Amino acid sequence: MTAASDARTPGYHGRYLCIDLSRQQCEQRAIPPDVLRQFIGGSGLGTWLLLQECPDAVDPLASEAPLLFVFSPLVGSPLTTSAKFAVMAKSPLTGRINDSLSSSHFAIAGKKTGYDAIMVVGKAASPCCLLITPDGVSFEDAVDLWGQPGPATEDRLRQRFGSGYRYTTIGPAGENLVRYATASHAGRHAGRGGLGAVMGAKHLKAVGVAGDRLAAPAHPDELIRYARDLSRRSLGPATAKYRELGTVSNLLTFNRLGSLPTRNFQQSSFDGTEQLAPETSPDTPPRTRSSCAACTIGCEHIFHRPGKSGVRMEYENLFALGPLCGISDPDVVLEASALCDEFGLDTISAGGTIAFAMECAERGLINAPDLRFGNGQALLSMLGQIARREGLGNLLAEGSRCAAEQIGQGAPDFAPHVKGLEIPGYEPRALQTMALGFAVGTRGADHNRSGAYQVDFSDQVDRFDPGSDAIPHAIATENEAALMDSLILCKFLRGVFDDRLAAMAQMLHLVTGWDVDAAELTRTAERIITAKKWFNIRQGWTPAEDTLPRRFLTQPLSDGPGQGATLPEETLRKQIECYNRARRWTPDGWVPQSLLVDFGLMESSDVTAS
Amino acid sequence: MSVRVEFLGIPRLRAGVGSVNVEAKTLGDAIEQLRQMLPDFANDCLEDGQLRRGVLANINGTMFTTEVRMPLRSGDTLMILSADAGG
Repeated sequence: MTAASDARTPGYHGRYLCIDLSRQQCEQRAIPPDVLRQFIGGSGLGTWLLLQECPDAVDPLASEAPLLFVFSPLVGSPLTTSAKFAVMAKSPLTGRINDSLSSSHFAIAGKKTGYDAIMVVGKAASPCCLLITPDGVSFEDAVDLWGQPGPATEDRLRQRFGSGYRYTTIGPAGENLVRYATASHAGRHAGRGGLGAVMGAKHLKAVGVAGDRLAAPAHPDELIRYARDLSRRSLGPATAKYRELGTVSNLLTFNRLGSLPTRNFQQSSFDGTEQLAPETSPDTPPRTRSSCAACTIGCEHIFHRPGKSGVRMEYENLFALGPLCGISDPDVVLEASALCDEFGLDTISAGGTIAFAMECAERGLINAPDLRFGNGQALLSMLGQIARREGLGNLLAEGSRCAAEQIGQGAPDFAPHVKGLEIPGYEPRALQTMALGFAVGTRGADHNRSGAYQVDFSDQVDRFDPGSDAIPHAIATENEAALMDSLILCKFLRGVFDDRLAAMAQMLHLVTGWDVDAAELTRTAERIITAKKWFNIRQGWTPAEDTLPRRFLTQPLSDGPGQGATLPEETLRKQIECYNRARRWTPDGWVPQSLLVDFGLMESSDVTAS
Repeated sequence: MSVRVEFLGIPRLRAGVGSVNVEAKTLGDAIEQLRQMLPDFANDCLEDGQLRRGVLANINGTMFTTEVRMPLRSGDTLMILSADAGG
């Protein structure tokens, strides 16, 4: 290794590690303190690193495309829910920026390696596992693990190298370059955008991290007091839904409000919901609760099946592998979720792409006689075909956008994606502030980078016709998400804070010593979101991408309380223009060079006349 | 003025039932009757005659509100739900 600057900001190591798999070499590089303050960590710092390290117009699965594991100043602190890390790359599914977050011990151990981020480039000659400690990097053979599911891989690696390391792994889907394969750690996934495929393309089966390097906080005693109080508050009513019911409880609510995507978004409520919902189904198996490391909320609800492994269920996998595919059998949904965990498939994209294929098959656009809404066995079979890239699964492994382009015959009109990323479980026509959030999202259709559904689920707007009043609210939720994903904190804490910006500023102050306030954090969020947009522009973004599939812009809702509601294309376009102006971008979404200079994303000497 | 009240999320858990009927002209009337009928629900979801922060009302699947003076009509469906829809 070569040495890097040892300048330290409390809470940080001030450097990142670059690993070249092709050359089996590594190098430390310094991160300037002003960059840490401007981008914080996690998603923000990862965006800055991608802007520095990712070649323009690179193939996301090419050797030279960088893959990042990014930590944050709060990781390792006593603050509840702070054990999180970001995995980032140019997405092979969207061709745009991708930041997926995951949780638990990998984050803590990763930061203890002594780096704020780990970057991997190159491609190993054969399947390998990286072991990273403060003392160096070892490149371990993993040929015998190729083909193994992620959880089994972690078990085998623990047997081989002891229990000191924490691992992020891929399953068969990542190895086979399925464009929505996940990177997994302890049953949790950096799920969206195909980061598992980026690992697979590098022949990187697993990354193990261990260490003892601490990044001491600036105000340790105050931090402990603050963390203790935050933990106490996190056990209150603001998180009761997540703790006592889990996110699966969204199912009944969304169904009742006509915002539950059903049968590939042909309907907004599902007649099999009562059978699927844990609150109402007599067939719901027993469950236990679990939590990420350093979390007091405990939102994970593990459902136990006789003779089989337990399955962690969330609203998103329940919706995507249930109503979206017309499935009302809870056993099928649990089995489908378990298969996605085993193969390393993003449940939202897998369910979305299969639901799209079911509609294609029912319309006679593809020859797949068994692939019908409600056919659970067809769903389960197709998940395996996708992971192995067999038969029709090979096409569906490319995602709904690419599959639709190849199928043609009008299929792109109802392929359920934005920028290639399949739409999560929020019906855009019934939640039209969220529709805007989906359309402009730099990652694609995304409920984690825009929380605009919070605006729709409030008395602030008419969710079927939110108008321009919704724009500032939508931007505020996006800014808030950018900050929480950079700090990194769990969004399920949101309801705990009376003033979220002030709380985030306080936490950052206690860890780093910076005198930050809400105004600075808002500007930081704006910088991070603009930096993501700038990355996308450099990778080929055009304004035409900021839209929704034609189905949503031409067909009214067919059922539910919003039956007949429409989202006209012109209405969405005006919303997007208002959004872009509010972000100080051009009306069609380009970022002015003056703004790039203002945010430190471009040197003033680089400004061109055009 | 018979109004059907449906419970979803944590309010459903606390109420212990999926729905009840109340006689109410406003959201505030409905809340007062629920307070008397369902003490566990009231304890966790109501405060000072209003919905507690984090709890939301929706009328007929369309309009969200927390305004206690919001009028209700006979035949309305009032949903009481957890406000946070994060998934």
